[in-house]
Amino acid sequence: MHIAIILVLGLVAGILVGLMGIGGGIVVVPALVYFLGMGEHTAQGTSLFILLPPLGLGALAVYWKERHVDLPAGIACAAGILLGGYFGGKLAVGISSRPLQALFGIFLVFSAIMLWREAGKSPPAKEGPHA
Amino acid sequence: MLSLRPRLWTIFLTGCVVGICSGLFGVGGGVILIPLLVLLFGFEQHVAQGTSLVALVPPTGLLGFLAYYHAHKVDVKVGLLIIPGVFLGGILGGKLAERLAPRKMRLVFAGFLFVLGAWQALSAFSK
Repeated sequence: MHIAIILVLGLVAGILVGLMGIGGGIVVVPALVYFLGMGEHTAQGTSLFILLPPLGLGALAVYWKERHVDLPAGIACAAGILLGGYFGGKLAVGISSRPLQALFGIFLVFSAIMLWREAGKSPPAKEGPHA
Repeated sequence: MLSLRPRLWTIFLTGCVVGICSGLFGVGGGVILIPLLVLLFGFEQHVAQGTSLVALVPPTGLLGFLAYYHAHKVDVKVGLLIIPGVFLGGILGGKLAERLAPRKMRLVFAGFLFVLGAWQALSAFSK
């Protein structure tokens, strides 16, 4: 039963990975805490472990075929994330995650509102008359 | 190509910031990276998502992971069980995304962020 829940959890996270172009940790972490009763730090560490293999590769192939990829930008981001991840991990292990979680949530809500306005304002470039 | 460089440096620095958040929250970083690519660099939604997947192909969380591993904050068994589902689900989700129009895709993503963000913030405050 326990194992079945974990397997289904992976599949649901994966669908979100492909649909949203994200790593999946954002859904895996809260799910590990709520469904499996893990501590916040262990859930975050396990999530980073899951993300070590290139799990988004299958999804990336789908985006690649539709030419929805900016390769140089992606590589630049990867280098930055690798470097920043080290300091973030060090920082996290030493502190309580509650205020951070609140800050993170507020950042997400703020981004959502900005993106929503962006979508309402004008059609994205590819739909525009210049495409 | 030269004119591209400053842009790539800015994107690299953005990646650094995203990486710090990635290590802090135990996430891949895509969820932070995508809004930044759209809002700061004007990426179209699908391209932002595809580019984020590129950024997540190398084990970018490796250094962050090691910090947790040394603190014994990793459940390897549960992690291994989740991996196959994430890979297969990713292909499914990617196909689904390509069927959505760019504008609709952005709205779906924004709605997703809003719910997640509200959930995170509320659960932090109610602990």
